[in-house]
Amino acid sequence: MGRYWRIFKEFFRTCLVEELEYRSEFIGNLLSSLFGIIVSILMVQIFFYQTDQLGGWAYADVLILLGIYNTLQGLIDFALRPNMPRLLLHIRMGTLDYVLTKPVDSMFFVSLRHLNFWRLIDVLLGMGLTVYGLVEKQWVPTFLDVVFFCVTILSALLIIYSLWMLLMTTAFWVIRMDDLSFLFTSFFETTRFPITMYKGWMRIALTYLLPAAFLTFTPASALLGMWDVQTTIMSGFVAIIFFWLARRFWKFALANYTSASS
Amino acid sequence: MSIQVENLYKSFRVHVRKEGWTEALRSLFKREYQTVEAVKDVSFTIDTGEIVGFLGPNGAGKTTTIKMLAGLLHPTSGNIEVSGFKPQEQRNEFKKIMSLVMGQKSQLIWDIPPMETFLVNKSVYEIEERVFRQTLDELVELLELEPLLGKPVRNLSLGQRMKCELAASLLHRPSILFLDEPTIGLDVHTQEKVREFIAKYNREHKTTILLTSHYMGDVTALCDRVLIINHGKLLYDGELQVLTERLTPYKLLEVRLPSISDVSWERFGEVVSFEDGKLTLRVARDRVAMVSSELLANFDIHDLNIQEPPMEEVITLAFQEESHAS
Amino acid sequence: MLVKYRAILRMKYVEMFSYQLSTMVWMFGTMVQPLITMMVWMNIYPDQGDAFILYFISLIMVERLTSAWDVWEMDRQIREGTFSYQIVRPFHPVHWAIAENIVYKGLFLVVLVPCWIVLSIFLPSLKLQLSAGQWGLFLAALLLGAIIRFSVSFLFGILGFWMTKVTALYAMFETVSLFISGRIAPFSLLPPVVKQISIFLPYRYMIGFPLEILTGAYDTHTLLVGFTGAMIWSVLLIGAICWLWKAGLKKNQAVGG
Repeated sequence: MGRYWRIFKEFFRTCLVEELEYRSEFIGNLLSSLFGIIVSILMVQIFFYQTDQLGGWAYADVLILLGIYNTLQGLIDFALRPNMPRLLLHIRMGTLDYVLTKPVDSMFFVSLRHLNFWRLIDVLLGMGLTVYGLVEKQWVPTFLDVVFFCVTILSALLIIYSLWMLLMTTAFWVIRMDDLSFLFTSFFETTRFPITMYKGWMRIALTYLLPAAFLTFTPASALLGMWDVQTTIMSGFVAIIFFWLARRFWKFALANYTSASS
Repeated sequence: MSIQVENLYKSFRVHVRKEGWTEALRSLFKREYQTVEAVKDVSFTIDTGEIVGFLGPNGAGKTTTIKMLAGLLHPTSGNIEVSGFKPQEQRNEFKKIMSLVMGQKSQLIWDIPPMETFLVNKSVYEIEERVFRQTLDELVELLELEPLLGKPVRNLSLGQRMKCELAASLLHRPSILFLDEPTIGLDVHTQEKVREFIAKYNREHKTTILLTSHYMGDVTALCDRVLIINHGKLLYDGELQVLTERLTPYKLLEVRLPSISDVSWERFGEVVSFEDGKLTLRVARDRVAMVSSELLANFDIHDLNIQEPPMEEVITLAFQEESHAS
Repeated sequence: MLVKYRAILRMKYVEMFSYQLSTMVWMFGTMVQPLITMMVWMNIYPDQGDAFILYFISLIMVERLTSAWDVWEMDRQIREGTFSYQIVRPFHPVHWAIAENIVYKGLFLVVLVPCWIVLSIFLPSLKLQLSAGQWGLFLAALLLGAIIRFSVSFLFGILGFWMTKVTALYAMFETVSLFISGRIAPFSLLPPVVKQISIFLPYRYMIGFPLEILTGAYDTHTLLVGFTGAMIWSVLLIGAICWLWKAGLKKNQAVGG
C-alpha cells in the first residue's frame, strides 16, 4: 500500500512538472474553473427563483450538495478523466503491452498515470462552495457528523473509481469510441441534485442499480446531521461490491486481451 | 518555365517562452518575440517534367518552401510563380493543376474505403466520368490497389495507405506534384515501390515533381537534380552527379583478396579499411580504371566492386562547405 | 455545385455508418441533462407536469436538430495539420461542414421522430396538434436556428487559426446558452433581466424560439421579434464567417498550418 502511495506521488510530480511547462495556462484554467462553479450556482439560483426548496432541501443545503458535487467532479477530472483516451490509444496501438510488463498493478497504472493538475482548482472551489453553504445555513457540523461524512465520502470515492473502471474496461471491446467518459458524465449529472427529488422507480434505480444516491446525497446528508448508521454501512458495502466487480472485470478483460492480441 | 522562385524569404515571429513564474505572468501582458528565418534568399527555376529533389536536414526550410509553392504559406518577400499562377492567391484554377502529398498526414477519410475519397475528389475537381475511370484504372494497375479499394483506410498498413494517398492525389491529373517526405516511415520494399511508381508516372505524364526528403535513397533513385538547403539557404542547385563528382572526386573500390601483409596499398589509393579479406580503397575518379586493372593483373582478386561514395558523405561535405564559407 | 454536394453528402453518409455507436451514445447522452432538469421542474410545480414534459421533450428534439460540433472537427484538423488538405482543394471547407451537419441532422430526425411518436402513445401531452401553417412556421424557425448555431460553431472553428484553446471557449459559450436559450428553464420562468438580455443575443433564436412555436407558447408579437431577430443574426453571422475566413486564411498563410 505504501509503495502505491509513493508511485502515485511520482505520477503527481511528473504531471506537475509537465504542466508547469505551460505556466501561462494557469490564468486560463483558473478562469474556466471559476466560470464553471459560478455557472452551477447560477443554475441552482434559477430554480430557487421559483421555489424555496428542492426535494425537501433548502437553498443552502443544495449549495452544500453542489459543493460536494463539484469537488468530486474535480477529482474525477484530475485523476480519472485524463487516462481514458490514453487507455483507448494504448489498446489501439498495442502499447498496452508496455504497461503490462511493468512491475506495477496494471489497473492502478492505467487509471492514474496521467493527472490533470489544474483540476485541483475545481476541487478547492468545490470545497469552498460547501463551506459557503454551511456558513449560509449557519450550521457547524458536529464531530460525529464529520466522521460519518468522511466514511461516506470515502465510499463515494471508491464507488466512483469502480464505476469509472468498469466503463474504462469496456474499451477493450469498444475500440471505436474516442471518449467513453461522456457516458460517465451523463450518469454523474444525476447526482447534482438531492436524490429526494426523483420519484418512484427513478429513485430506486439511482439508489440500487447505479448507486448515484451514495455519491453526493449521502455524504451531504451526513454533513448536515442527517446521517444514519444503516445507510452509511450500506454505502460502504456498495462500495466494496462495486470495487470487487471492477477488479474482476478488469482481470477478465486482461485475460481476454493477452490471449487474443496479435 | 514551370516553377519560378526569386529571392524567396520567409521568417516567423516566435513567442519566446522564459522560465520562472514572474516571467510567465509577464508573458500574459507583454510578449517577447524572436524572428526565426526559415527561408533566406532562395531562388531557382524548375522546368516542366523535371523531378527535383529538395534535400536537407530537419528544420532546414524544405517543408516551408514547399508550403509556399503550394500556396499554404505566403512569403515574407520574394516572387513565386507556378505554371503562371501566384500560389498565395489560391485560385481554384491553380488548385486544379497541382497536388500536395504530405508524408505522415493523410487526406483519405479514415473510417471508410479509399474509393469513397476518390469519388469525392472526382466531384470536387470536376473530373469527367470517362476520364476518371481511365485515370483510376491506370493508377490501380500501377500501384496494385485492387485489393485495397474496399477496405476502410484505418485497416490499411502505412505502405498501403501511402499508395492510396498517391492515387488520390493524382486522380485529377495535376501537372505539378508536391511531395513532402512521401516515403517517411515506410519499409524498404514499399519505399522502392513508391519510387518506382513516381519515376514511371513522371516518365509517362511529364508531371513536374518537387520532392522533399531526408532519405538519400529517394533522391538518388528519382532526382537528376537536387536543391540542397540548410538553415534556410540554398547551398547547391544542380545535377546530383555533378555535385557528387565535385565534392567527392573519388570512388570506393572494394576488393576481396586473401590477406597479404607486406603491400603498401597507398600507391593505389587511400586505404579506408582492410579487414577480413576486404580492402576498401578511395581512388580518384580518373584513376579508377587504371587502378582496377593493375590490381586485377597483379593480385589474386576474388571480387572487385566499384562504388559511388555514400550519399550521406556527399551531403555532409556540402554542409561542411557551407559552414566553412560562412 | 450540386453535384459536388451530392458526392460529399454521400461520403458523409457512408462515413456515418462507421460511427454508429458513438453517434448513438452522444445522441442519448445529451438527453440526460434536459431530463434531469425536467424532473427538477416537475418537483417544483407538480401540477404542471404535462407542460414540462412537452417542453423538455421538444427541447431535446430541437436541440439535437440544431446541434453543431464543427468547432471540434476544425480544431483537430488544424492541430493535426490535415487542414492543409482542405485549403489545397478547390472547394471551400465550409461545404464539408455543412454536408456533415445535414447528414447527421437527417439521422437524428430519422431516429427521434419515431421515438416521439411511440412516446406520445404513453404520454398524451406529447400529442401535437399544430396546423399546417404552424408547422411551416416551426420549420422555418428551426432552419434559422440551425443556421445560427452552425454559423457560431464554424466561426469559433475559424478562430482556431489564432487560438489554441478554442474548444474551451466554445464550451463556455454553450454553457451560457444553457441559461439563455431555454435549456435550464422555459423562457417564461427566467428572471426578467435574463429575458431582456436574451432578445439581443443569438441564443434564444437557436433553440428557444423554435421551441416556443412547437409548444404553442407564442403570440404574434413573439413571432415578429423571433423571426426578425433570427434573420438579423443569421445574416450577421454568415457575414462574419465570410470576413473572418479571409482573415483566418491570411493568418494561416503567415504562420503556417
